[in-house]
Amino acid sequence: MNRLSQLPTLKIDTTQKLAFTYKEKTYFGAKGDTIASALFANGVRIFGRSLKYHRPRGLYSLDGECSNTCMEVDGVPNVRCENTSLEDGMIIKEQNVKGSAEYDMMGFLDKMDWAMPAGFYYNVMHKPAKIWPLAMKQIRKAAGLGKIAPDHEIPGKYDEIFLNTDVCVIGGGPAGMTAALAAAQKGLRVILMESRPWLGGCFEYRSREYQSRQTLHDRAVQLAKEVEKTENIRLFTHTSAVGTYNNNLVTGFQIGKKEDIFDQRYVEIRANSVISAAGAIERPLLFDNNERPGVMQAACALRLAKTYGQLPGKKAVFSVGHDFGLEAAIELHDLGLAIACVTDIREDGQNLELVKKIRNRKIPLLKGWVATKAHGMKTVKKISISTLDGQISKTFACDVIVASAGFTPVTGHITVNQGTLKYDSHTGAFLPDQMPEKMHAAGRVLGLEDPKSIEVSGKLAGLKAAFDCENCSIQELGDAKKELEALPGPARGSKLVTAPVKGRKTFICFDEDATIKNIKQAIEKGFDVPELIKRFTATGLGPGQGGIPGHNLPLFVAKYQALPDISIRPTNVRPPLVPTLIATYAGANHKMFKTTPMDEMQRKDGGIFRNIGVWQRARYFSNDFSSRKEIENVRNNVGMLDASTLGKFRIHGPDALKALQRVFVSDMSRVKQGRVKYSAMCNDDGCVIDDGVVIKQGENDYYFTTSTGRAGQTIEWIRYHTRYDGWDFALVNLTDSMGVINLSGPNARKVMEKVVDIDISNEGFGFAEYKTFNIADTIPVRAMRLGFVGELSYELHVPASYMKAVWIMLKDAGKEFNIRNFGVEAQNVLRMEKCHIILGQESEQRTNLLDVGLGFLWDRSKADAKTVGAVALRQAENDQTRFKLVGFKMENNGRAPRDGALVVDDKVRGYIATARDSFSLNEAVGMALVEAPLSKIGTRLEIFEDECGDDRIYGKVVAMPFYDPEGNRMKM
Amino acid sequence: MFFKNKPMWGKKTKLKSSYDVVIIGGGLHSLATAYYLSKEHGITDIAIIEKNYIGFGGAGRNTAIVRANQRTRYNVPLYKEALDLWPVLTKELDYNLMFNNCGNLNLMHSEAAMKAARMTIATAQFHGVESHLIDAKQAKELVPALNISEDITFPIHGAMFHPPGGVVRHDAVVWGLAKGCAKNGVQIHQQTEALDIGTRNGKVTSVTTSRGTINTKQVLISAGGYSAALIYDMLGIKLPISVLTIQAMVTQPLKPVLDHVVSSGAYHCYANQTLKGEIATGAHMDPWPNYTTLNTAHYIKHQAEALSEFLPCLRGVRFMRIWGGLADMTPDMAPIMDGNDQVEGFFMDCGWGYFGFKSCSAVGKYMAQFMAGNECPGMLKPFNLNRYQEHKLMGETAALVNYSPDN
Repeated sequence: MNRLSQLPTLKIDTTQKLAFTYKEKTYFGAKGDTIASALFANGVRIFGRSLKYHRPRGLYSLDGECSNTCMEVDGVPNVRCENTSLEDGMIIKEQNVKGSAEYDMMGFLDKMDWAMPAGFYYNVMHKPAKIWPLAMKQIRKAAGLGKIAPDHEIPGKYDEIFLNTDVCVIGGGPAGMTAALAAAQKGLRVILMESRPWLGGCFEYRSREYQSRQTLHDRAVQLAKEVEKTENIRLFTHTSAVGTYNNNLVTGFQIGKKEDIFDQRYVEIRANSVISAAGAIERPLLFDNNERPGVMQAACALRLAKTYGQLPGKKAVFSVGHDFGLEAAIELHDLGLAIACVTDIREDGQNLELVKKIRNRKIPLLKGWVATKAHGMKTVKKISISTLDGQISKTFACDVIVASAGFTPVTGHITVNQGTLKYDSHTGAFLPDQMPEKMHAAGRVLGLEDPKSIEVSGKLAGLKAAFDCENCSIQELGDAKKELEALPGPARGSKLVTAPVKGRKTFICFDEDATIKNIKQAIEKGFDVPELIKRFTATGLGPGQGGIPGHNLPLFVAKYQALPDISIRPTNVRPPLVPTLIATYAGANHKMFKTTPMDEMQRKDGGIFRNIGVWQRARYFSNDFSSRKEIENVRNNVGMLDASTLGKFRIHGPDALKALQRVFVSDMSRVKQGRVKYSAMCNDDGCVIDDGVVIKQGENDYYFTTSTGRAGQTIEWIRYHTRYDGWDFALVNLTDSMGVINLSGPNARKVMEKVVDIDISNEGFGFAEYKTFNIADTIPVRAMRLGFVGELSYELHVPASYMKAVWIMLKDAGKEFNIRNFGVEAQNVLRMEKCHIILGQESEQRTNLLDVGLGFLWDRSKADAKTVGAVALRQAENDQTRFKLVGFKMENNGRAPRDGALVVDDKVRGYIATARDSFSLNEAVGMALVEAPLSKIGTRLEIFEDECGDDRIYGKVVAMPFYDPEGNRMKM
Repeated sequence: MFFKNKPMWGKKTKLKSSYDVVIIGGGLHSLATAYYLSKEHGITDIAIIEKNYIGFGGAGRNTAIVRANQRTRYNVPLYKEALDLWPVLTKELDYNLMFNNCGNLNLMHSEAAMKAARMTIATAQFHGVESHLIDAKQAKELVPALNISEDITFPIHGAMFHPPGGVVRHDAVVWGLAKGCAKNGVQIHQQTEALDIGTRNGKVTSVTTSRGTINTKQVLISAGGYSAALIYDMLGIKLPISVLTIQAMVTQPLKPVLDHVVSSGAYHCYANQTLKGEIATGAHMDPWPNYTTLNTAHYIKHQAEALSEFLPCLRGVRFMRIWGGLADMTPDMAPIMDGNDQVEGFFMDCGWGYFGFKSCSAVGKYMAQFMAGNECPGMLKPFNLNRYQEHKLMGETAALVNYSPDN
């Protein structure tokens, strides 16, 4: 096809050809084409088939308002071809067809609409119940548009960018550009987002006069040049704003250019002030077969010619309700399109100059007439038009119907940010009512059509934004307001909702194949609110969301129920305002885990890592997940564990002790210098939420640890529970700045001796004692003698920067003893044999301090403490219905049950917290939480494992701990 | 023939000056309770008072997943019964609730999660509910789109597979129950706001609405996310409920690609494909109490990041709509069902968090029994309000929940 050339508005370069594959054949488009415009140039009129009735669908809008031109491109489904740029080598396929879009074997469904009224599926296929699963399979197959393979990998690079600005302008049309310029001239940083690849909006493709010897197109070019050379405007073209949120957060996505390092980029902008200048789309005209290929919107027909250099067909009939429609007819006529007739819904009120131009061109103009039916099986062949009352009708042969009832301001950016709209009976549109704070509307969003009004409204919005940023005076605002008031306001809009038709084939929503008749059916069934009708008929819930039906649905519902104008409310619009790829939203897809200072060295030693909470930790050091060697080495020799993930805090100040008394259950005034105190924290229900050790470093100065999982919440926890007291203390989170090495095993002292200078004999540094010293006169260490794993053990707290050094020193010193790493799983077994609990493993949401046998920690006589949880603990003391933690051994030398197995009789009575076949003890042992009556020593536990069927295994409650009950080994 | 268009829940009627029972809230729990009161207990003089329209709240905003893989012995039987009721209700109501019995796959990403899953599975099996622990490879066979490589943030260790679960068309349940209610004579008053409950000598006497006062001896508040505020405003009863926003979203429709409900605790993400072909996905609540249904920018991004990793083919699919609803969360993730205790004749059914949809059928049945007989059925007894006073949480989650700093 020969393209129109020499037009200043063209965005294609016909000298540069791009090859693409469609239906397994090679076609060519021009550089600058969209996929749809290239296909159209190659004669394609039917782009796909509709969801329900498999009706042929063609080019209707050029801005992606419906799914008509959704196709599969390079394996990616539902690509809106009408605004996706053509690229060399693209492979394009039709969607939702059996056969081809041209010859679809499912096309007969179009005749079956009588069997598929609104919500029909709720009334059928459930009797008898047996048929439903079969029917459902067929429904699933029939539903859905595009296809994606389970192993599909979308190519391309996806990036993200987070920006901060004074003013963010949504829309790069005349209003948006003027707004951006006005704000920028006030010295503000401005971001301008435009969804098309170029600026200019509704001026860009029009030749109508802006002022003497300047067309709208010329004006658009002029404004764009000014914007581009303004340094404090950052321009994002080909960037759709898809969401606006609280406090003016704007999100969008940008399509990359050839030279960009990304294909698509997620854009998130925090702006002080936002201007919504997103323009308007056309309100579809409702008549029979109003979506037949060949029917298109006025701007679509015009832009097809002026942007992409192709006439929409040979002979057209126009059925429009606004001056822009007349303007498009004149321009297209002058470009060579034969026009059989122009019908205008309005009986009067047309721009006289435009009417004159139409008459001069000998185009018949019928006022008060409207299209009633498009004829033609697959594409338009003929049209019926009639007077508004349907009394007189005529037909014309044609292959294009340009149909447009009015305009719909694009207000989604306002309403998703909680702005409100109001039905305006002058324009027949929903116009902004309450704007969100620091958000301003401009241009066609306000219903304006006059070019000068559009620009001045942009300037006013730009100044309002500057005012938000305190860079504009009230005087200036007032002047701009006056300037706007002197110009023409919004034009009167046509009120027609439907042509005089019954509506069986009048589509209010293309994507979901919902007709006017369906809407009537829904209303008759009692769905009287547009939101409910939406749900029942799926109108506006398809890939194009509310683009096509959003404006017409509430108008029609009000008209059909004869409701007054005041009751007309818009339906909800929801983000993303343009469907957005999951890949784009995901952006760079960060992995954010914390690693300890020993991460690299443990990996070198063969550590197998797991994500545990926010950390990555070495769980095993071999592929034997029973960790036998690691365990035996700790029991018989010496091992080292990286415990750096423990929460570590300093609390100091005159009231530090009071704060500790509040959150810890023990009497913290008894913490002695040089000793380590183990204690726990409870919540208001008495449930244990944390445990750790506390050390007194000096007067009013304490250092304490928390479990790994709680570290993030500890400061907030203590602040919260002391919030009314006005106590004077400071809390410092040292978790990331300190590392911890746990050196454990009978040979631990021998290793330590080689590294430290102090006396570490059992007399010099006994169990539960605490010392600070320097290694090599340089590295400050806090050392504690603890016994979590049940052996002689030293826990060394070292500044993170020295961790590697100390780790290497210990490793070198331990070489002669065959020191080895042990991981989290080995520690888990070692401490379990000793019946030391891990919160979250031997406790759950409802487990309190007493239940896990830690009641001895609780000091009831604390004077002024008001310990968190104490009230609940007092209540629970005599409650015999609670779970208790017990130790158990398996009967007859049986294997250990799996963690999470149940303790049952005829009901569930508890569950296994941790159980292992113990290498140290040569038998299976574990801990379980069971109802109190089962907690007596000697009780037989019936254990129910998953998949056990009728088989049970049995254990017996025994005294805890299992290993070294006297504790001699850790105190040696 | 089979498509006569008559109003499904009756013509708009005048509000009478008295009813035997008034139910505040036009969601699923209200409709189900009214349905069973009228069907099984002969109590038909019922008014349902709804401020907006039926199904406005959680009933129309949830992602329609049903399952019975709860954690404790108090909850599993209730949800099991709810699950068993879908086919029964479809038949009774003569309305296709579109139960897609596709099964739920709950992914596990650590040894600790596998343990937690094993306990839940054992509990299910003990109560006769089918559920199995499967490994990553088996999970991949069920869901070919799953990424079971080690190279993701939370590598998949295995999954809990729960075949009896699935998806029910939530709107259909609302409309079907409303249809059933209307058929039995229950009056549904939409766009009517309940303003107050009148009491005398510790007994319910009336309900004041925006359309006049109704005399009644029994009131049920089951107004989803709004229940806690209503109950406090009208009767001064403070409930341990935090109301949080929960968001959900759908992609553009696709041909079948996901045959099961897939969820992941570590990723805070679930996904299932609706009968229409959309991938519906969502997960956890916003981390702060909030009575709005506003969406946030980070949430949809988070979902995309999560899906990108464990269902990577979805990277080529587009999100088209996100919305928000309210979840009324209790400290133990289990609901509060109580009545005749604080005020005689006053019943409450709330604190369902995001479990309100899957439970509605069975709860309606038992709440109806409770209200009709004025005696709490055994099934509901563990859910009384007093348990919080006694500091006895239900244990519905293993970990402590934290909605706000006071927890």
